[in-house]
Amino acid sequence: MKIRSKERLVTGMGLAAIGIIAAMVWWTYSEVENANRQRRVTSEIARGLTELRLVTFEYRLYHNERARVQWDAVSDRVDRHIANVRFAQPAQMEILAGLRKKQAAGRRLFAELTAARGGDREDAPLDDASRRFEAQLLSQLLTYQQENFTDAYRLNNLATERIIDAQRRVMIVILAGLALIASSIVGASWFLRRDVLAPIARLQQATRQVAAGNLEFILGIRGDDEIGELSEHFDAMTQSLRKSFAQIERSNQDLAELNEELKAFSYSVSHDLRGPLRSMDGFSLVLLEDYGDKLDDEGKDALERIRAASQRMGYIIDDLLRLSQVTRAELNLTRVDLSAIAREIADALDREPSGRSVEWAIESGLSVWADPALIRIAMQNLLQNAWKFTGKTARPVIRVGALERDAKTVYFVADNGVGFDMAHADNLFGAFQRLHHVDDFPGTGIGLAIVQRIIRRHDGKIWAEAKEGEGATFFFSVKESENGSDEQDHPAG
Amino acid sequence: MRLTVKLPVVIGGAALAAIILGLGYLGTRGQPLTRNVPAEKLRIALPVLPHAALVHVAAAKGYFADEGLDVSILPVSYGVAAIGDVLQGTADLAVAADVPFVIAVMKNDSLGMVASLVSVSNDHAIIARRDHAIAAAHDLAGKKIGVSFGTSGSYFLWAFLIRHKLPPDSIALVDLPPDRIVGALANGSVDAVATWQPISFEAQAALGQTAVSFTEADAYRTTFAAVGRSEFLKGHANAIEKLVRAMLKAEQFMRSHPEETLNLVVAWLKIDVDALRPTWKQFDFRLNLLQSQLITLEDEARWAMARGYARSGPVPNFLPHLYLDALLAVEPERVTVLR
Repeated sequence: MKIRSKERLVTGMGLAAIGIIAAMVWWTYSEVENANRQRRVTSEIARGLTELRLVTFEYRLYHNERARVQWDAVSDRVDRHIANVRFAQPAQMEILAGLRKKQAAGRRLFAELTAARGGDREDAPLDDASRRFEAQLLSQLLTYQQENFTDAYRLNNLATERIIDAQRRVMIVILAGLALIASSIVGASWFLRRDVLAPIARLQQATRQVAAGNLEFILGIRGDDEIGELSEHFDAMTQSLRKSFAQIERSNQDLAELNEELKAFSYSVSHDLRGPLRSMDGFSLVLLEDYGDKLDDEGKDALERIRAASQRMGYIIDDLLRLSQVTRAELNLTRVDLSAIAREIADALDREPSGRSVEWAIESGLSVWADPALIRIAMQNLLQNAWKFTGKTARPVIRVGALERDAKTVYFVADNGVGFDMAHADNLFGAFQRLHHVDDFPGTGIGLAIVQRIIRRHDGKIWAEAKEGEGATFFFSVKESENGSDEQDHPAG
Repeated sequence: MRLTVKLPVVIGGAALAAIILGLGYLGTRGQPLTRNVPAEKLRIALPVLPHAALVHVAAAKGYFADEGLDVSILPVSYGVAAIGDVLQGTADLAVAADVPFVIAVMKNDSLGMVASLVSVSNDHAIIARRDHAIAAAHDLAGKKIGVSFGTSGSYFLWAFLIRHKLPPDSIALVDLPPDRIVGALANGSVDAVATWQPISFEAQAALGQTAVSFTEADAYRTTFAAVGRSEFLKGHANAIEKLVRAMLKAEQFMRSHPEETLNLVVAWLKIDVDALRPTWKQFDFRLNLLQSQLITLEDEARWAMARGYARSGPVPNFLPHLYLDALLAVEPERVTVLR
């Protein structure tokens, strides 16, 4: 059974018990009210019967008219009470019927008594038969009144018993209702402990174990309720995590192996490929210097081309090595003065013997949470790019600054150079991707790929906006945090 | 956390225990303690009359045995004979009408009334022969009327005559035992008989259309009571209390099972159920000792003296002859005798 169903059951039982108690209290209240009404009427009847006995006694003594009139008045009142009182129990109805009958008989006897006296004087002597007759009537009347009096008290006692019974019954129902509520509470508590609290404690233990890295922990709570389902899902989740972790482990292993291969490759490139290139360049130079006079212009040009190609290949190898280093280098994050770095690079570019004059607009106070060496490489590439692509601009301007976008600081390097078609923007950051011919703007095509790798290492994002002939702007953001070692990245594998 | 789990259990347990104890207490209230004592023997002289049905039902339903009594029923034909058995010592208790009880008390027999068992209105009747020129009550003057002397029948006849202002000496009384009443009326040796049910019913049936019946509910209501020697009652107070308890059970049964009771009674009386059914409703079976009973006993005492059943003198005090203790011990509200 579901926890919700159990909760409904317990709540239902509790509410039912309260409902029964409330109904019984209401019923008892009506019972007691009714019985009290009966008791009041029977008390009135008993009072009337007492008064009847009094006036019967007075009439017996004096046979006076006043006593007779009063007898009739009291008897009428008793009759009205008897007629109005309502009983439902057979015993009460039986007594009331007897009372009614004897009251009627009493009236009959008293009427006979007064009729027998007729117009006689109060103290008129009676003959023997009349005396016996009157004595019998009075005796019988007295008996009826006595019995009626007893019956009125019996009715009164029965009404009282009815009240006591109702109270006792309601007490039993209240006690039974309380027992039901108590057992509901005990049942709910037991159920809560067995089916909710104990599994939750085990679940807590399981989450602690999993948090501590023990993915082998199995909760193993069986049941068709919500906790059982939760346990099943939890165990399925840990099983899935175990599989994912195993896969990650394997991937890490593969990556480590690849990294090792890449290191070996880099080593090979830097040492094994550079040797032949240096030989090609060196021997070409030797040919030009030692045998230049024996070569015609075409031969010299060929040698110059060999030298230029081998040198260019050397640059490419350097950039590839740099790209590889950028990926693997360990991050040492700190607060870096980006404005200062930009100015240093700008000064260095200005000092190059190109004779170019570029207007630099570098915002002061730019700082970034980054690895100083890597962010310098990134800025170097971005500013060199801007410098390069403003080479054919009449009044080149390069700007470095920052702005707020979506509550984040975004840095930018903008120029008014040749720009590019945004349709090719997706290819900007790929290695060896070029949007301009190498003859127009020399370069290896790896610079922006290096920048992108560096920004990614900083959990950042880089993008560009440009228009052909009007310049380009490169935006980048990095994760802004200064919170200790947990923000430290690790070298990619 | 532990406390929140255990507290409801403790409270619930305590509440349950209290409730169970409470219900147990309510359930055991009023129950008598079981006593393991030998059954006390009682001999009851019981008239084979519907008036004595309550004692028969108590015996038939085993209520006497339930109370630890070993009751022997001694069947007799009427109350006078039952009291005779007690006085002779062949029975411990008798069920009889109040009239023979009054006469016995006035003869200095030390009898006590345990409880009145039944009262019946219109129980007695005068059955007369229409062919003997009797059509109305006053026609009885100068006639021979058969009656069992010293019985409730003879008191009824007296009360009837007074009610109709007929001088008692205006009629000739013939003493007839109950078993000869119907025959005497049928053969015309008496003009009328004064008797009780079911003899009055039989007498009326015997005469057929010739019968004329006179009743007088306001003149006398028959009361049958359980009586015994005062010394015996006082000496066996415990047994009498049990007897009263058993008879109260029988009374309860008779109220709740009227049809079954009627079948039990007619089987015991060996009469047809239709013969008893018309008058059965007039029997009010209820154990009590009423103040009004004293008035009736005193009236009967006056009659007994007037008719010569007892020596003339002051009306005796019947109060000491009402044995109140047993009924007071069991159901005191049934005793209305002033004390």
